[in-house]
Amino acid sequence: MHLADTMKKVIIAGLMAGCILFVLSYGGLFLAIQFFPKLFLAYNNPLFNSDGSRDLLFYLHAFIISFALSWFWDRFKSLFKGPSLIRGIEFGLVYSIIALVPVMWISFSALDITVAMVVSWLIYGLLQATVAGVVFARINP
Amino acid sequence: MIKTVSEMSLKKVNLYFLFAMLMSAGMPAFAQSAKTWIVNGNSNLRVNGSTNINKFSCVIPSYGHTDTLILAGVKNSMAVSLSGDIDLQIKSFDCHNSLMTRDLRKTLRDDQFPLLHIRFISLSKMPDVTAQESELTGLVDIGLAGVQKRFTIAYRLQKGAGGNIRLLGSQQIRFSDFNLIPPRKLGGMIRTNDTLYVDFCLDITQVE
Repeated sequence: MHLADTMKKVIIAGLMAGCILFVLSYGGLFLAIQFFPKLFLAYNNPLFNSDGSRDLLFYLHAFIISFALSWFWDRFKSLFKGPSLIRGIEFGLVYSIIALVPVMWISFSALDITVAMVVSWLIYGLLQATVAGVVFARINP
Repeated sequence: MIKTVSEMSLKKVNLYFLFAMLMSAGMPAFAQSAKTWIVNGNSNLRVNGSTNINKFSCVIPSYGHTDTLILAGVKNSMAVSLSGDIDLQIKSFDCHNSLMTRDLRKTLRDDQFPLLHIRFISLSKMPDVTAQESELTGLVDIGLAGVQKRFTIAYRLQKGAGGNIRLLGSQQIRFSDFNLIPPRKLGGMIRTNDTLYVDFCLDITQVE
């Protein structure tokens, strides 16, 4: 019963964070492309899928990261103290240091991508995790 | 059963007549005044396109070798037969940016179809090579990524250096004409437009 309640909380928080991240992430990306097109020239690169066959997977990312972070939050939420915003920021930083930095490191070392690209992905992930952390702190404190 | 001389001659005449008929059936349209055009290695081709964030221009700066086109009048017609083929290496495209160059080659599936094939079919009239500049149209078949499509090209013919002539052509084509998907990145947020503008310049030496 306790496990079912926990799962329910994790799923509901993940779903809500997923919806919010979906709007913010892709809305932000759309606006960034409109206002700073030069930052995105490097994506004209054969490394990136270009036939549209993975578009669905691309847009599901907001939900994948939200469910993963929701589970992580539920396990370690007691370690994040203070108001929702501070808990969210700390959660975002923890996620970035543990998960993003090593992945960005190996990506830059192995793939033909630019420093600007890697830094933008790091900031993008940090913001996503911070927003998700604030949402979790309010829904599943 | 001895055949007379006149019977033999008649048979020979019939055979010649039959041969002439067959030849004229095989090559019905060519008049006598055929000309040979040598396409020189400094001919070039440019493809201009755009995405929703930038424009790009990819060139094959130099054809690199010579090819021959045969120009011949068509009986009872203004039109002129122009026969010959040109093959361009997709890997010769240069988009002035290594990533874009590789992206274009991938889009054109150069691993499977390494050549851009142009087959010349006809011209709307016999070109006046003595004029400084003249305009004409012509049919070509363009083969790309395993698909062949026929286009009517608007040409300009100019006098070039050293008695050569330059045949300039432009044509709007689309990726979708050749069953190719214009590249789209980041879930379609960065999109290449379907339309491409192709300009080419053939440096030609006419051989009578």
